[in-house]
Amino acid sequence: MSKLNSGQEAPKIGVYVCHCGGNISDHVEIDKVVEQAGGLANVAVARENSFMCSDPGQEMIIEDIEAGKVNRIVVASCAPALHEATFRGAITRAGMNPYLYEHANIREQVSWVHHGPGATDKAAALVAAAVGKAGELEPLEPIRVEAEAHATVIGGGVAGMSAARDLAAQGLNVALVEKSPFLGGQVSQLDKTFPSGEAAGELLSALAAQVLHDDRITVYTCSELAEYSGYVGSFKLKLQRTPPSGQDQERLSRIGDASPGQFLPFVGVWADQPPEASEEVELTSGAVVLATGFEHYTPPQGEYGYGDLAEVITLPELIQIMAGETGGGEQLVVNGKTVNSLALIHCVGSRQIPGIHQPAPGGTLNEHCSRVCCTASLQAACELREKFPETSVFELYRDIRTYGRGQEDYYLNAGRAGVVFARFAPEAPPRIEAGGEDSALTVTVPDQLLAGEELALGVDLVVLAVGMEPRDNQGLVDKMKLPVGADRFLLEVHPKLRPVELPAAGIYLAGTCQAPMDTSEVANAAGAAAAKAGAILSAGQVELDPFVAQIDQAKCVGSGACVEACLSDGAIEMIDTPDGKRAQVNPALCMGCGVCVAVCEQDAIELNGWTLGQYEAMVDAIVAQTAGQGAKA
Amino acid sequence: MDACAQKHPILILATEDCSYPGANSVGQAHQNYPDNTYIIRTPTPALFPEKFYLDCFDKGVGGIIIMSCGVECPYEGAYPALAKRLDRIYVLMKEKGLDIRRLRLTAICTVCNRAFLKEVNQMNEVIAELGAPGSEAKAA
Amino acid sequence: MPSNETQKFDSLVLGGGIAGLAAALDLADAGYQVAVLERDATIGGQMIRLSKVFPTLDCASCITTPKMAAAAHHPNITLFTMCRLEGAQRVDGKLEARVTQLPRYVDPDKCIGCRQCEYECPVMVDDHEQGGFTARKAIYIPFSNAIPQLALIDREHCMMCGKCSSVCPTGAVDQLQQEQEFVIQAETMVLSTGFELMTDFPQRAYGAPGLGDNVISSLQMERLLAPHGPYMRVLRPGDGKEPESIAFVQCAGSRDLQLGKPYCSRVCCMYAIKQAMLLSGALPLADLTIYYMDIRAFGKNYEQFFQNAKAMGVEFVKAKPVIAGNNPDGSVVLRYEDQEGGTGAVSREHDLVVMSLAMLPAFSPEEIVPVSAADDGFVMVPQPKLAPTLTEAAGIFTCGVAAGPKDIVDSIAEAGAAALGAAKYMAAKRGGQAAA
Repeated sequence: MSKLNSGQEAPKIGVYVCHCGGNISDHVEIDKVVEQAGGLANVAVARENSFMCSDPGQEMIIEDIEAGKVNRIVVASCAPALHEATFRGAITRAGMNPYLYEHANIREQVSWVHHGPGATDKAAALVAAAVGKAGELEPLEPIRVEAEAHATVIGGGVAGMSAARDLAAQGLNVALVEKSPFLGGQVSQLDKTFPSGEAAGELLSALAAQVLHDDRITVYTCSELAEYSGYVGSFKLKLQRTPPSGQDQERLSRIGDASPGQFLPFVGVWADQPPEASEEVELTSGAVVLATGFEHYTPPQGEYGYGDLAEVITLPELIQIMAGETGGGEQLVVNGKTVNSLALIHCVGSRQIPGIHQPAPGGTLNEHCSRVCCTASLQAACELREKFPETSVFELYRDIRTYGRGQEDYYLNAGRAGVVFARFAPEAPPRIEAGGEDSALTVTVPDQLLAGEELALGVDLVVLAVGMEPRDNQGLVDKMKLPVGADRFLLEVHPKLRPVELPAAGIYLAGTCQAPMDTSEVANAAGAAAAKAGAILSAGQVELDPFVAQIDQAKCVGSGACVEACLSDGAIEMIDTPDGKRAQVNPALCMGCGVCVAVCEQDAIELNGWTLGQYEAMVDAIVAQTAGQGAKA
Repeated sequence: MDACAQKHPILILATEDCSYPGANSVGQAHQNYPDNTYIIRTPTPALFPEKFYLDCFDKGVGGIIIMSCGVECPYEGAYPALAKRLDRIYVLMKEKGLDIRRLRLTAICTVCNRAFLKEVNQMNEVIAELGAPGSEAKAA
Repeated sequence: MPSNETQKFDSLVLGGGIAGLAAALDLADAGYQVAVLERDATIGGQMIRLSKVFPTLDCASCITTPKMAAAAHHPNITLFTMCRLEGAQRVDGKLEARVTQLPRYVDPDKCIGCRQCEYECPVMVDDHEQGGFTARKAIYIPFSNAIPQLALIDREHCMMCGKCSSVCPTGAVDQLQQEQEFVIQAETMVLSTGFELMTDFPQRAYGAPGLGDNVISSLQMERLLAPHGPYMRVLRPGDGKEPESIAFVQCAGSRDLQLGKPYCSRVCCMYAIKQAMLLSGALPLADLTIYYMDIRAFGKNYEQFFQNAKAMGVEFVKAKPVIAGNNPDGSVVLRYEDQEGGTGAVSREHDLVVMSLAMLPAFSPEEIVPVSAADDGFVMVPQPKLAPTLTEAAGIFTCGVAAGPKDIVDSIAEAGAAALGAAKYMAAKRGGQAAA
């Protein structure tokens, strides 16, 4: 590193003003700007060129640096978005720290918007401001944090398994943490997936085989996150493994002579022998992928007769019943009773509307669409009509949302197969009553497709297409301080800019913990999360922007105001020093917003690259220039 | 144009992600606006303490427009923190006899040309009316 | 810049829209060298041309430009605009892509994007970047946030008057430029070629009345609503009148077995709702009606967005209307079967009608890349469940609308998965080691 990088030397600023081939020089008198710049404090050289961005323009800067004439650079030209990177690159090639550079925007913000003498005056003032800032610039280095080539995935469903597989394929070691003794999550509860009709068991078996046979992946079943600390590149995790109990034990009893890796319908993929005693596992991980999945909505007793009437079941229950049916009969038989006719009701526990739907005991409503239930219902309807042609099927819906590739076919096929559709308004949902002329139940519903005419359907079974709800993750949310949206799903930073990331670097979202998705969408989300985690961890170190807060501990009095104001949990901590408590920044957690700078009464904090001293120098320069211009006028 | 208005600069604190590119978009459209405007880039205006603003007025800055990203701010929580600080600055400005119209918080996006021009012209009118910072206290 | 020599990369991304850029950035961040090949004169795809995006109502430019700039400045990404892929096949384990660089008639190394040529050019041409509602010049930069900021000449309309050459400060105008062929070699490829709208649907479906000036496409409405749009406000193109009643016709070409495509285009419900919401801000007194088959607000926070639009007074009518004609005052007559009211066939007039047109694939892979299109015309993915971005050819992946209609959020997630697929393929070839 050259001595120019030390920043210790007194500033010798080089100012380079661009004509932009008339774009600037037609409205700004470049020679005047150069002349004024030459007279400013700390300015060693002031030059001009027709095109600063051209090779000769850049060469001019490089020559001055190499000749030792300058150690800070100001270029006055077009918008920084166009050529700031160009000039920083030139400076780097000359062996100087690229952050010893400031840009003055005299095209988009001067010559293209102002004409007459005011344009020249403003350009001169902006150059003076840039020179003022340049005098205060310090060399900066990117912050490098050692990164463990290891990622932890929480949740062993399709999202978690896909993410684990995809992380391992990038050369990372992976811990896959699953609460239950089984892999497979909610997809284990399916028979066939749409739109391809692939069997859920085959799909899970294939995925689980990839995970279980990969040396880089360690699967921790019966495990939950107990402790969490650290930051990107180096998270410290403690897992608690607990012998299975309750429902899990019951599910384990169904294993029989199955071997690890085998899929058990409606249970999952049996991964390995569960622990016999509680144990703790400590991990250091560079990144964490959350793949905690969803839960099905459970209708409260009485919603559409659920819990009161034995003939009202949920769609997952129907799928399980149908999977056990080998067919052969003309009609579906449920609990020993022949089903001549059944009705599927959509949007149960989804698309709930305040004032119409009853909130859950906690006061929550599921206002979201669960995205998969329409196609799942239609898939079931098509299969019913195919296997049991004498069983009539009604679909009672609000909107049919077969949006995905191949899904619309289910809607078309259902219609062709004789499924009858009725559309209800949320304010007038179907009513279910016991008994009917020739049926177990009667469903009455005003049908919007028939101008609101009330239909009375005699059916033997009502199937509720229950929605997806966020899993109760409170423990994890509290431990990892995860952001949760109004819909109670985990909340990404931005749905388009950073869709699988959380504000804390190194933590990613995969799958239905974020929002309802189908299996393909889950595979994509898991891939996207694995790509992000892989990109930061495979290099062995994480490189972060140098624009973070820095505390002058000689000025700090330990008031803690910055800690309180800090928007990124743990980015500033109070530490004990011989002089008492002092604040300290963890650059890996600091997002560089600078709110701490504003609240420090001792002026002990600076945001690197954007210091208050630099801003004050800019304001002073502008005020001095404009006052001078006013005097001239 | 009032010569007096020309003398008192308007400082525009513009966010790197939104309003700074927004100001450049006005430039690309070659739309004119008063030339006493000085646009300063910042990652987020939430880093400026109360004192910074008051000092600016002391130094002779006629008006300050904070052009933020608004709720689209990439730094989660910074915008609410900024809005709260503004309330305190307004109190301090009143104490010093400064008209609070000299400081304005607004959100400008990368292509909000019209909104940008409206804000700048409005502030320029305010400064033309009020004159030098602090003169309103004497007038009252 | 293209030369006759083969240029070598790890990955070739075909299409520089938001999906392609997201995939390119993920690969580049992982240390792979990426070429992005774009047919258009700028990267950014359809997204950079939108007004605001649902359900956050973020300004589209503000979300797209950072990705465009990040790709343009990334040390591992090389952008090739105005390039057409002629064919790609594997030769000795590497994909060899034959590419034609189309002439800009402006030297990209000399052009500084100052637009002096554009101001001087005397030729006015319909500006398709503004929905065809305003004019541009025959030499032009596509739009203010185009990347690269380089001029090009529309030779179809250029009169060769030479004015641009005379004012260009760098002598960049080069009327003698020719098409130039070159080869890009890469190990993997990502097809992110996006969509176009089925613009001929109104004419196919309704004949002449479908072509009226006051029947516009959804992408044209995006321009009317954009803050830097053609009129800077919402006016109807036929006569410049401020529309008092605006209708959206959903499933125009989608879910239509007879005249259109059988599939759902997946984004139209949400963008129509979004446009209606933006219109209610721009024209608070206008009546807004959305004619729909089913409202498909299925994504995160989409249903809530739909319910908000209903609460704001946007009228939703379940019907599939036809355009029955135009009135002398320019209004458009829609006729439809009133299902909810049960009053039979009804006619209603609207000042402006927006057709939510079906999405069509913008690229057909056949005979260019060794993958095939499925029946719907989009790139075939044989393993939609576990590997939705994998095509039939090893090492070639797909994402975004190239693999079927989808919204921006889903396209970006899929782009991440496609990048991951490509990275995995390359890591496996290199013995389990990632690029960096």
